[in-house]
Amino acid sequence: MKPRSSPWIQGKWLLGAACLVAALLVKPVQDRIDALLHQASIDPDILYFSSPAAVKAAAIGYDSLVADVYWMRAIQYYGRRAEAARRQVRYKNLPALLDIVTTLDPKMVDVYRAGSIFLAEPDPVGAGQPITAIGLLDKGISQLPQEWRLWFDKGFVYFWYLQDFRKAGEVWLGACRVEGSPPWMEALAARALSQGGEIETAKDLWRHQMEGSTREDIRENARNHLASIQVDEDIWTLEFFVERYAAVYGASPARLEELVRAGFLIYVPKDPSGVPYQYDPAAGAVHLSAESKVRYFALPYNYRETFKERLARLYESSRQQKK
Amino acid sequence: MKVLAIARNTFRENIRDKILYNLILFALLMILSSFVLGQLTLGYEAKVIVDLGLSCISVFGTLIAIFVGIGLVYKELERRTVYALLAKPVHRWEFILGKYMGLLLTLLVNVVVMTIGLGLVLAYHGGVPLQSFLRLLPAVYLIFLSLALTTALALVFSSFSTPALSALFTFFLWIIGHFNSELLDFARLTKSAVAVFVAQILYYLLPNISDLTTADSRNVIQGAAYFEPIRAAAVGWATGYAVLYCTILLGLTATIFSRRDFK
Repeated sequence: MKPRSSPWIQGKWLLGAACLVAALLVKPVQDRIDALLHQASIDPDILYFSSPAAVKAAAIGYDSLVADVYWMRAIQYYGRRAEAARRQVRYKNLPALLDIVTTLDPKMVDVYRAGSIFLAEPDPVGAGQPITAIGLLDKGISQLPQEWRLWFDKGFVYFWYLQDFRKAGEVWLGACRVEGSPPWMEALAARALSQGGEIETAKDLWRHQMEGSTREDIRENARNHLASIQVDEDIWTLEFFVERYAAVYGASPARLEELVRAGFLIYVPKDPSGVPYQYDPAAGAVHLSAESKVRYFALPYNYRETFKERLARLYESSRQQKK
Repeated sequence: MKVLAIARNTFRENIRDKILYNLILFALLMILSSFVLGQLTLGYEAKVIVDLGLSCISVFGTLIAIFVGIGLVYKELERRTVYALLAKPVHRWEFILGKYMGLLLTLLVNVVVMTIGLGLVLAYHGGVPLQSFLRLLPAVYLIFLSLALTTALALVFSSFSTPALSALFTFFLWIIGHFNSELLDFARLTKSAVAVFVAQILYYLLPNISDLTTADSRNVIQGAAYFEPIRAAAVGWATGYAVLYCTILLGLTATIFSRRDFK
C-alpha cells in the first residue's frame, strides 16, 4: 500500500491546529472588543429605531411578530435592574419602546397596563413619568375603548402617582359607563371624589391591581405596595405605643415585648415577610430590619399624622370604655 | 393532462432538491419557541406562537417562491432539458403553467405541514380550543395566495433573466408590493396631477401584496394572533385579486417564453 504523502498529512494537521487555535481565540478577542466598546460608549442606552412609523414600515407586513420582539425587548430593558442602574438615565428608552409596540400591535392590552406601571413608578423602580403613562393609557383607550381595565389604570395613575384624586374619580366615573366594568368601580369613583386620597381607597386600589392582573410582575408590584403600607402602619403604631409607654413609665421600653406585658398590645407585629421590626430604645424609633424581605416603597404622600391622630382617638375611646 | 404531468415532475424535482428540509428548521423553531417564549413574553405565549408560526410560514414560503421560482425556467434552459420537452407536442404555455403549478404544489405541502406543526405546538401549549385554531386557516390561505403571487412574479423574470437578477427584481417587487398604497398617498401629497396620474398607473400595475396580507383593515397575522375571524367577503376579494394578477403574470411569462428562440 502506498503511504500518504507527508506534506498532505502535515497540511491537514496544520489546518486542524489553526482551526483549534482560532476557535480558542474567538472568545477572548470578542471579550476584548466588548470591553473596548464598553469603555468608548459613555451612554450605551441607544435605541436605533425610535420612530414607531419607521419600524412599522420596516416590518413589511410582519407587524405582529415585530411587536412581540419589541415587547420582549421592553420587558428585558425594564427588568434588568443591574443594567438599568448603570445607565445615565435609567429608563430613557422605555416610552419609545412601548410606543413602538403599541403602534405595531394596538391590541396588546397588557402592554398598556404593565407599561403604564413601568412608566409611572418613581425612580429607581420605574421611569417616574406618570404623564407619559397616562398618554400610553389614552392611546390604549382610543384603540380599545371597551377595555374598562385601561380606564381603571388611568384613574389609578392619577390617584397614586399624581395625587389628583378628583381627576382619578372622574376617570373611574367614566369607566362605570364602559360595558362590563365591575360594580365596585362606581364606589371607588365616589370615594375618590368625596374623600380624596384616603388611604383605605389606595389600599383597595392595590388590592384590585393584585386580584385583577393576569401578569405576575404587576401582582408582585401591588403586593410590594400593600406590604409597604402595612410596614408604615405597623411602625407608626409601635412608635405611638412606645410614646404612650414612656408617658406612663417615664422611659421608653427596653424591648418591644414590654408593650405586650404592659397591656398596650396583644402581640408585637412582624413585617409582612415575617421578620421582626428593629427597635432603637434610645430614640424610641422602630425600623424595618435589614434582614426583611419586604421590598419597601415609600408612600407618595404622608398620612403619618392623620394615622396617629386616628390611633390616638381609638386608644382614648378604648381607655374610656375600660374605665 | 400535460400541464399536470409537468407539475408533478416539477414537484418531484423540488422534493429531490431537498426543499422541504426547511420544515425541520420550522419544527425546531416552533418547538424551541414554545418552551422559551413563555419565559420571555409574560402573558402572550399563544399570541407569540401564532405570530411566529404564521410569519415563518410566510417567510419560508416567500424564500422558496423566490429562490425556486427564479430557477424554474432558467434551469431547464441551462440544462437544455427544455429542448427535449418542447420537441414533444407540448405548448410553451403548458410548460409554464405546469412549472408554476408544480411549485405551487410544493408550497402547498410546505404550508399544510407547517400549519399542522403550528396546531400541534398550540395544542401542546394548551388553552387554544379547536374553534380558535380553525380561525387561523383563512389567514394561512391568504398567506398562500401571497406566495402564489410571489411565485408568478419570480416566474416572469425566470423566463428572460438570470437567476441573480431575477431574485433581485422579484425581491424589489415584493417589497414594493407592501408599500404600493403609500406610493399613492405620497403622490397625492405632491398635489401634482401628473404625479398622481403616474402613481395611479403604478398602483394598479404593480402587485399589491398588501391586499393579501391585510384583511378587514388589519394585518392578517395580527388578527389571527387574537383568533379573530376574517370576513368571507375579504377573503373572496383577495382571492379574486390574486387569481387575476397571477393570470396576467402567467400570460406575460408564456408570451415572453413563446417568443424566445431556442435554436
